[in-house]
Amino acid sequence: MSSNRELTMTSYVGIGVGLMMIVVVEVILTYQHLPSRTLLFALLCLACLEAYVAIMYLMHVKYENPILYWTIFPATLFVLVFLCYLFPDAFRMFNMRLQ
Amino acid sequence: MSQSELTIPGGHEVVMEASPYGIDKKKLGMWVFIVSDACTFGAFLFAYGYMRIGAPVWGTPFGFSSILNGMVMTAVLLSSSLTMLAAVRAAQADETASVRKWMGATMLLGAIFAGLHLREWFNLIGEGWRLFYNPTGGAAQFGATFFSVTGLHLTHVVTGVIALAFVARGYNQGRYDQSHIETAGLYWHFVDLVWMFVFPLMYLMNAH
Repeated sequence: MSSNRELTMTSYVGIGVGLMMIVVVEVILTYQHLPSRTLLFALLCLACLEAYVAIMYLMHVKYENPILYWTIFPATLFVLVFLCYLFPDAFRMFNMRLQ
Repeated sequence: MSQSELTIPGGHEVVMEASPYGIDKKKLGMWVFIVSDACTFGAFLFAYGYMRIGAPVWGTPFGFSSILNGMVMTAVLLSSSLTMLAAVRAAQADETASVRKWMGATMLLGAIFAGLHLREWFNLIGEGWRLFYNPTGGAAQFGATFFSVTGLHLTHVVTGVIALAFVARGYNQGRYDQSHIETAGLYWHFVDLVWMFVFPLMYLMNAH
């Protein structure tokens, strides 16, 4: 169960405001006319940061037994990252198309 | 490792080993569901990326008003996560009236989010976007990926609101305890977490 080291409700509101600020940064970056790859990389990094904060604090993983974290997250990340294994095939599809 | 002993009728003693995770079995079950659901959303977003890379021209239908709407939706969903946390805190403190109030606020914010989401959908449909039709002449897959990913997320939100209503009712009647509120909260935060990827990938990457 969650321990007594949990944050106060005020701290959680601060985390919520912080997450919203990250979203504002994402929107600002969108309108900077960055190259698509740069924008995608920046948005994914910020989304991962938001996800980390949400998992650790809102979903209380930081205050649970570490074995929960080590059982669930490496395996899930492995699956999600390895989905990208097939991305080069999308480029092949793009380049082989009739011009 | 801590163990609890259980005596069953007939005088036999059974030794029950505590969960190595140290969490309630309902929460553990919800974590397993969340992992499988994360992989489902990951596969949907991967399919979107795959089709986008393979398409010569991709639609970018979202003007600033849609992005603003998306920001409001994000703020509403984040606020609902905070009200859910308040409900969990109230349940831990055994404050039934407070749990009812915060769960109600969470459901209301969830319903507002769904309403804003549907408004965005109807705007796109009004502009001629369909599951397999792009009115600007670009890749037709935009509609398929956008409506499927956001539709899956919307289904989670609507299901979450209904589930919260059931849990709140059960808690109010004394059938459920704080562990049910915590488990429902875990699901609700996951719905919020998924939106943190859906918004930048489906809206911001398709803004013009």
